[in-house]
Amino acid sequence: MYRVGKALVVVALAALAAAPLSAAGFGIFEQGAKANGMAGAFTAQADDPSALFFNAGGLGFVTKQEFSLGFTWIRSSKAEFRGANPYPGVGYRADQKTLSEFPPHFYWVRPINNVWKFGFGIETPFGLTTEWNDNFAGRFISTKAALRVFDLNPTLGWQVTPSFGIGVGAIVRYSDLELNQHVGAINPFTLGVADVGKINLKGDFSEGYGWNIGILHKYNNSFSWGLSYRSRVTVDYEGNGRLTQIPTGTPFDQVVAGVLPYGVKLPVKTSIDYPDMASLGLAMALNPTMLLEVDVNWTGWSRFKDLNVDFTGGSGNSLPDATIHERWKDVYNYRAGFRWTTSPSGQWRFGYVYDQTPQPEQSVNPLLPDADRNGFTIGYGFTGAMKVDLSLMYLDFKERSRSVSFADDTSGPFYGKYKTRAWLFGATVTF
Amino acid sequence: MRRFHIMLAVLLALLVPGMAFAQVDFSRYVAMGDSLTAGFTSGSLNATYQAWSFPAQLAGAFGVSDFQQPLVSPPGIPAILQLRGLFPTVILPASGQGVPLNLNLPRPYNNMGVPGATLHDLIATTTDNGGLHDLILRRQGFTQLEEGLGLHPTFVTLWIGNNDVLGAALSGRVIDGVTMTPVAQFQAMLTTAVGAIAQSGAKMAIANIPDVTTIPFVNTLPIYIFNPQTNQPVLVNGHPIPFIGPNGPLQPGDYVLLTASSELAQGKGIPVALGGSGQPLSDSVVLSAAEVAAIQARVNAFNAIIAGLASQVGAALVDDHALLHQLESGFVPVGGIEFTGAFLTGGIFGYDGFHPTKIGYGFIANLFIEAINQKFGTKVPLVDLSKVMFSGSTTSALRSVHGDQGVTSFVFTEQAAASLRKALNVPTDAQINQILRRRGHHGHH
Repeated sequence: MYRVGKALVVVALAALAAAPLSAAGFGIFEQGAKANGMAGAFTAQADDPSALFFNAGGLGFVTKQEFSLGFTWIRSSKAEFRGANPYPGVGYRADQKTLSEFPPHFYWVRPINNVWKFGFGIETPFGLTTEWNDNFAGRFISTKAALRVFDLNPTLGWQVTPSFGIGVGAIVRYSDLELNQHVGAINPFTLGVADVGKINLKGDFSEGYGWNIGILHKYNNSFSWGLSYRSRVTVDYEGNGRLTQIPTGTPFDQVVAGVLPYGVKLPVKTSIDYPDMASLGLAMALNPTMLLEVDVNWTGWSRFKDLNVDFTGGSGNSLPDATIHERWKDVYNYRAGFRWTTSPSGQWRFGYVYDQTPQPEQSVNPLLPDADRNGFTIGYGFTGAMKVDLSLMYLDFKERSRSVSFADDTSGPFYGKYKTRAWLFGATVTF
Repeated sequence: MRRFHIMLAVLLALLVPGMAFAQVDFSRYVAMGDSLTAGFTSGSLNATYQAWSFPAQLAGAFGVSDFQQPLVSPPGIPAILQLRGLFPTVILPASGQGVPLNLNLPRPYNNMGVPGATLHDLIATTTDNGGLHDLILRRQGFTQLEEGLGLHPTFVTLWIGNNDVLGAALSGRVIDGVTMTPVAQFQAMLTTAVGAIAQSGAKMAIANIPDVTTIPFVNTLPIYIFNPQTNQPVLVNGHPIPFIGPNGPLQPGDYVLLTASSELAQGKGIPVALGGSGQPLSDSVVLSAAEVAAIQARVNAFNAIIAGLASQVGAALVDDHALLHQLESGFVPVGGIEFTGAFLTGGIFGYDGFHPTKIGYGFIANLFIEAINQKFGTKVPLVDLSKVMFSGSTTSALRSVHGDQGVTSFVFTEQAAASLRKALNVPTDAQINQILRRRGHHGHH
C-alpha cells in the first residue's frame, strides 16, 4: 500500500516537477508568484501560504485555511555557446534547445487553534535541464541532462506572541535524474575520433530527508525581520544505464562491440548532496501602502563536490565508474523587493536579485554552465473571489568563460563562453 | 652632445632587452629537427600530413603566413603505411611513391626537419646520396643548421636527439657509438648547435626526448604468447608462456617490438609444443630489460643536457617526455574524449607506432605553445584540436583486403618495417654486425 501510494504521488508530480536555472547553481527560488514579483525578497514578509517555502515562521500568523497552487514558466531566450581553442575551437558556435519548463508549487495552510498552525507544501526547490543539439561538439560530455526535484514539506507553525512566529517543517525530497552523452573512440582506420555509442543513464525516483525552520518577528507596524533555514538533503539514486552502438561501418565496430556492453541494462548508482540554505530578510514599511524588503541568502553549495557515477553490474553489464568534479563553493545572493498597494484589491511589486554562481570556472561545462546572474522582476497581485498573483522575471546571466581545467579533470578542455538569458513567468492562485 | 649620445645608447641598451622579452617576434620562424619536426607520420613524409606538422600548426598560431615546408605529394616518400584490416591486423605501405612539390622554393624551407637526422646530421651533414637530406637541404652545400640560420630566424624550435638514442629501439640493438651517441659527444654537439642559434639572436624553444617505453612501437606487443583472437595470454598449467628471445625465454622488463609481428606470424619465438617453429626471435625485434635500461639512462642524460642548455640560453623547454608518460600511463582528455599512447586506438600515434598523428602533432604544438607562453610571457593561442580530431577517412584499401588469407595474427609487415628503417636511416642487423666486425678488427676507439 505504501509503495502504491508513493508511486502515485511520484507519477502525478513527475509530470509537473521540472527544470532549471533560476537560482544560481541548480536551485529554483521561484516558489510563489507574490514573492517572485519582489525577486524573492520575502523572508521578512512571508504573509501568504508560500511562507512554507520562504519562511516557515510566517505560518504562525495564519488565521484561516487557504490553498495556493501555481507554477513558474521558465523559458530561455538565449542559451548560446561560443568555442575557444584548443577545443572545440574559435568560431565554433552552438545553442541549447530552448528550455520551457513549469516547476509547480502547492501550499495548504490552516490554523489548528490560535497558537498552533499546520501547513503542507509541495515545492520544486531544485531542477536542471540542459539539452544540446545532436551534432554538438560537447556531445562526449553531455547531450542532455535532466534533474527533477520536489519536496513534500509538512510544517507546524507556532504563534509565540501576536508579533512573533516560528515554523518547523520536515522535508521529504523526491528526485530523479537523467544523463546522456555520446561515447567517442579512435577509429583505427581513420585515426580520428568516431562516435561509437550513446549512453543514457537514469537514476529512478529516490527520496532524501531534511528539515526546515523559520522565524518571523513583526517588530512594530513598520518593521519586521525573518530568518529561514532549509537543511541539507542527500538523495541516493539507483537506476540503469543503457549504451547503444553507433556503427562506423568498419570492422572496428566488432572490436568496440567486444569491449563495450551494448544493449544491456547497466545498473548504476549515484548521489547528490543538496545544499542547505539560509535567508535573512528585513522589511520596512515606508508608508501604509509601500514596503521595501532586502534579503541576503546563503547557500551551502560547497557540499556539491563531485558527482560519482558508480556502475554496480558485473562483467558484461558494467562500465568504468566516473567522477565529475564540481567543487562548488558556498555563495550569497542579494535580493531587494518593493511592493506598492494601489487599491484594496491590487498590489504592484518590483524586485532585483544579484545571484552569485557557486560554480568554479574549472567545472563550467555543457552539462551545467552556470554564471552570476542579475534578475529584474515585476509582479501584480489581485484580490477578488480568490487571490491571483502574477510575476515576470528577466534573468540575465553574465557571460561565463571557461579556459582552465582541474588537474584531475576527466573531460579535458571544452573551452569557450556561455551566454544565457531567460524569462520566468509565475502565476499563483490562493483561495 | 657626445655624453648625451652615450646616455641614450645606455638607456636603449637597458630598455630594448626588456621590450624584446615581453614581446617575442615570431615573424621568421624556423623549425629544426628530425622526423618529428618534419611532420613524418605513419612511415611517410606526405603533404597531407605535413600540413599538420607541429611546426606548421605552430606557425598558424604565431600568425606566420609564409611558412614553407618540403612538401611531398601523396602517397609520400616513402609511401604511407595503411591499415588494411583488423581481422587480421595488417599494416602495409601504400603502392606508389610521392614526388617533391616544393623543390624550387628560392630560399631555405621554414621547416628544416629531416627525417632520420641525428644531432651530428644537424650540424655536419650536407648530403646523403639521394636520401631525405637531399630532398630538404637540396644539395646547397649547407647543413640543416646553416640553412635554417640562413633565413635569419627570429624564432627557432629545436627538437633533435631522438635518433641519437631511440634509433636503438628501432633497430633493437643498443651499441654505444653505433645506435646511440655517446653522452660527451652529444653535449659538445648540442652546445654548438644551441650556441649558434642563440648567437643569431633568435629566441628558442627546445624539446626533450621521450622515454622509449612510452612509444607503441616498443610497448604494444606482450612478452607472453597470446591468442590473436582474444588478445589474452595463452596459459599452460595456469602460467603464461613467454616468447623465446635471442637469449632464451623473455623475462619481465623485456620488450617485443612491433617489427616482431611478422616473425611471430611465421611461428618464430613460439615453442613447437604450442604450434610455433621453436626458433628464437631475432635480436633486432626484441629489447632486453638491460637494453631498455641503457636507452632510458641515455635519454635521461640527454634530457639533462637539453634542460641545462635551454636554461643557459633562456629557451623555453618543451617536456615531451612528461606528455608521453601521461599518455602511456593514463590518458589526456579533450572535450570528453580520452586520448592515450595506445597503438591504433589511442589517437596520438600513427601506423608506424613511432610518429604522431595529426592529433598527436596538435598536442605537441600546444605543448610548445604552453612552454613558450610560460617562458616568454607571450599569449600565443593554443591550436584548435577540433580541426584534426575528426578528420580522416577510411582507406579504400580496407574493403578490398579485409579477410585476406594466410595471415593469422597481428602483422606489422616486413615491407612496412623496411620502409620505416630506410626512411629513418636505421641500420639493419647486417649493417650493425658489419660495423661491429670492423670495430673488432681495429679495436675500440
